[in-house]
Amino acid sequence: MAERGAGDRGGFGRGFGRGRGDRGDRGRGGRGRGRRGGGRRDEEEKWVPVTKLGRLVKEGKITSLEQIYLHSLPVKEHQIVDTLLGGRLKDEVMKIMPVQKQTRAGQRTRFKAFVVVGDSDGHVGLGVKCAKEVATAIRGAIILAKLSVVPVRRGYWGNKIGKPHTVPCKVTGKCGSVTVRLVPAPRGAGIVAARVPKKVLQFAGIEDVYTSSRGSTKTLGNFVKATFDCLMKTYGFLTPDLWLETRFSKSPFQEYTDLLAKPTKAILIENSETIEA
Amino acid sequence: MDPDTNDIISFQELSLDKENELEELEEEDELEEYVTVGFLEKPKHPKFLLRHRFPSKTGGAPAWLDPLDLPTGKSSICDFCEEPLQFLLQIYAPISDKESTFHRMLYVFLCPSMICLLQNQYEQWKHREEDPRRSVKVFRCQLPRFNAFYSSEPPRRDGNDKPLIVGAALCSWCGTWKGEKVCSSCKRAPYCSKKHQARHWKSGHKIQCHQIIGNLETNSSSVLREKPPDKVACRLWPEYEMVIEDECAFDLEGSEDISCETSSLVPKHVTDDTYQFLLDKFEADDNKKSWASFQERISKCPSQVLRYSRDLMVNPLWPLSIGRPSLVNIPKCKYCNGSLCYEFQIMPQLLYYLGVKNDSDSLDWGVIVIYTCLASCESNVRYKEEFTWVQLYPTAPVT
Repeated sequence: MAERGAGDRGGFGRGFGRGRGDRGDRGRGGRGRGRRGGGRRDEEEKWVPVTKLGRLVKEGKITSLEQIYLHSLPVKEHQIVDTLLGGRLKDEVMKIMPVQKQTRAGQRTRFKAFVVVGDSDGHVGLGVKCAKEVATAIRGAIILAKLSVVPVRRGYWGNKIGKPHTVPCKVTGKCGSVTVRLVPAPRGAGIVAARVPKKVLQFAGIEDVYTSSRGSTKTLGNFVKATFDCLMKTYGFLTPDLWLETRFSKSPFQEYTDLLAKPTKAILIENSETIEA
Repeated sequence: MDPDTNDIISFQELSLDKENELEELEEEDELEEYVTVGFLEKPKHPKFLLRHRFPSKTGGAPAWLDPLDLPTGKSSICDFCEEPLQFLLQIYAPISDKESTFHRMLYVFLCPSMICLLQNQYEQWKHREEDPRRSVKVFRCQLPRFNAFYSSEPPRRDGNDKPLIVGAALCSWCGTWKGEKVCSSCKRAPYCSKKHQARHWKSGHKIQCHQIIGNLETNSSSVLREKPPDKVACRLWPEYEMVIEDECAFDLEGSEDISCETSSLVPKHVTDDTYQFLLDKFEADDNKKSWASFQERISKCPSQVLRYSRDLMVNPLWPLSIGRPSLVNIPKCKYCNGSLCYEFQIMPQLLYYLGVKNDSDSLDWGVIVIYTCLASCESNVRYKEEFTWVQLYPTAPVT
């Protein structure tokens, strides 16, 4: 297949499988497609969605991440999060760690990047990526972090005035030997935590919290993951105001099936969006 | 102590193996795989997409290479719902090694119903002896350079090109399949199936039929030109031309280095073994890995709709790891009993361009991979059926 007869090429005009030797036609290709290959910056505008969820987001049928969280739909394209959270999303590299593998010809070093993304308003994500170059690892980690964005529930310490500023209750997360405990704090207390979880909590949009950690917190990976785990649990905690039964709504992917045939009696609760009353 | 050390050793071996795998994956990526990708573009003029120009196109009606001996009967309908299949795309893929494949076109048809596609995905695992039913069909047609239908010189592209003979009558409703049956009242309008005849009748032929009969009585010698099929009414997909590019044309120059001196909270030289655990949680899992490499590959040219490569070394780009065929699942060629090889795959970006709706029951696929006869064999059947494999996204969330 690699050899192509210089004489009688198969077919007329442009066809698939023309072979490497066909450089002559590239002139047109270069002119026409140059802009596709060129600017990396206009990647976002040129995003062609690959999944159905992506197509729904691009169309504009889905306007907030909460609609996706409500139905636990897996987010497979980071551009979805980009479109929905837009410019509010900030990222930070927590650590670049070289890891090495022994080969016959010496050591092969790759770089592992830990990136945290967040919009300081209830969404955080954590991404880890290993690659040969630092820049590639960081880029990949940012994408992974966007894919793993989770909602964070915030609540009040005492009087329910103003916006929620702290965790709704005491929560604890564990990873490896590290356990991190978040305790609600009054306004103005600030984030009382070590440097590493403080960053994550700032990205989450939590303003005041007391923390307590145990275990080998020197291991940054476990420490960060334990904090992240803790934040994920904030929406998993059943508080008295969630005692009312939820009426389930139809997911964009689910067909109109037996779900609505069953009689349900509760009031519809938008359990993701409301501020705690 | 012994069991502990054994555990530690085996854990390390495991992690080394994993590193091995990762390394192998990376090395594979570095091998220059020669792949051509197809993009969609609005055609400059619909005339350019007629069959004597040997187009590669999507949507609309197919430009049949051999205009007479079209596929009929069971090959033109979905095996599940018995509706005639809808034209998806065709590509012009000549092979220069053999004389008989100077012109070579591959046509893809599929049933637009998602229910049929789900059933198709189940049936494609079955062996050929069980006579599986399909809702996605691919046809290959090839002609030598000197043939009865087209001139042996390349088309001049000056607006005067014409095919040598007029083709067979096509269905008045879809314009896709051969119109073997005719309307029983006017005896003029051809149809490919009863269903299309019924639809055309309801949407306008009822009125036209009488006019045609009237015209016939007055002027019996004129051959009535039927109106071209109404694309909107019969929901044919929008027509595009497919433009071909090499994938390596999109390799960007070395990535700009985001400054390595990014401040990290912990000094760089601190290493730790427990990061492996973190890796497992955030990276591993076969499905996610294949999805990640899929995304990376298509990020070079995100609007690609088709990937083509007849190179035997090239594997199809699968988005997921589940639902892939093994060598056993790919049958032999129906006509020459030779082996099939991967030729091209249709990407899900095409759905975006086709404007397919995004309801819960609308068409959606992960990738459609087409395997064709390695030898591109000849046989008396003009449009030979090839093998397709559909990989769908799992409907239930896979953790």
